[in-house]
Amino acid sequence: MPRYFFHLRYGPGPDGLARDPEGDDLAGPDEARMRALAMARDLIARTRVQAVRDWFACTFEVTGEDGRAVATVPFADTVTEDDEG
Amino acid sequence: MPQLQQAMVRNRLLRAMAPEDFARLQPHLEFAAVQIREPMVLPDRPVEALFFVESGMVSVCTAHEDTQIEVGLIGREGLVGVSPVLLCVDRTPHLHFVQIAGEVLGIGRDAFCDAVARSESLRRLLLRYIHTLMVQAAQTAHAHAALGLEGRLARWLLMCHDRVDGDELTLTHEFLSMMLGVQRAGVTLTIQNLEGAGRIRAKRRRIEVLDRDKLKALTNGSYGVPEAEYDRLIGSA
Repeated sequence: MPRYFFHLRYGPGPDGLARDPEGDDLAGPDEARMRALAMARDLIARTRVQAVRDWFACTFEVTGEDGRAVATVPFADTVTEDDEG
Repeated sequence: MPQLQQAMVRNRLLRAMAPEDFARLQPHLEFAAVQIREPMVLPDRPVEALFFVESGMVSVCTAHEDTQIEVGLIGREGLVGVSPVLLCVDRTPHLHFVQIAGEVLGIGRDAFCDAVARSESLRRLLLRYIHTLMVQAAQTAHAHAALGLEGRLARWLLMCHDRVDGDELTLTHEFLSMMLGVQRAGVTLTIQNLEGAGRIRAKRRRIEVLDRDKLKALTNGSYGVPEAEYDRLIGSA
């Protein structure tokens, strides 16, 4: 299975990106997007961290092993996905 | 094999006990090297052996289906399996597994219970240790409720640092995410921020503790309470 990396964009510039050094093995880009949404939901619901005032302003920048962008998943998408579901 | 001497062991409980208590246990102690992720006590299975940690670290975790969260940490200050055995229950719902590879001195349950039954001083020492474990679990509950992720991660790094030699901790973000019950991205973000503030240095799979005082400042006093109880009741050796 290919490996996907979930970099967390929480502010502008290089300091505002938490680069995922480890990644997850997932079946494909759809699964990677689903994983990003699930992680976003859990962070929004349960995680308090001083560096992030508003989780809804954050985005997962998902890349493949070659570093190319696979998906950009704004945390705000967790809401629309729920509404559509 | 030469006989194990009390002055040679690194486990703080073994070092702190009376020489005659050490002598009761000594013939039954068996040295073993333990590897990362090796289970020491399985949930809801009879505890057959206890382990004095000489080096490395053991995690106590809740063991629900998809979320494991750490509720206890045992290093060379401790004895894995002592809580159920000394409190007269044969098993515990919590998984105890090796988080940092190291060495232990194991003892069978029957031999251990026999030694404790013959020595009130040994029993009292180990009950005081169980008290520090309970304080540690309570402080962990406090930290989960009262602290943001920065403070919880800082507390955890300090507790881990207390139990290893040197300043480098070998840990993946995935592992930390499991220990702290948070998404890995949250761990990665927080490590980056602690590093930016000069508290730690992060390398691939390694975290180097640079400034303990700055880490302590993030924990709002929730770090150090069980450690102080241990020093007061058992000794700071």
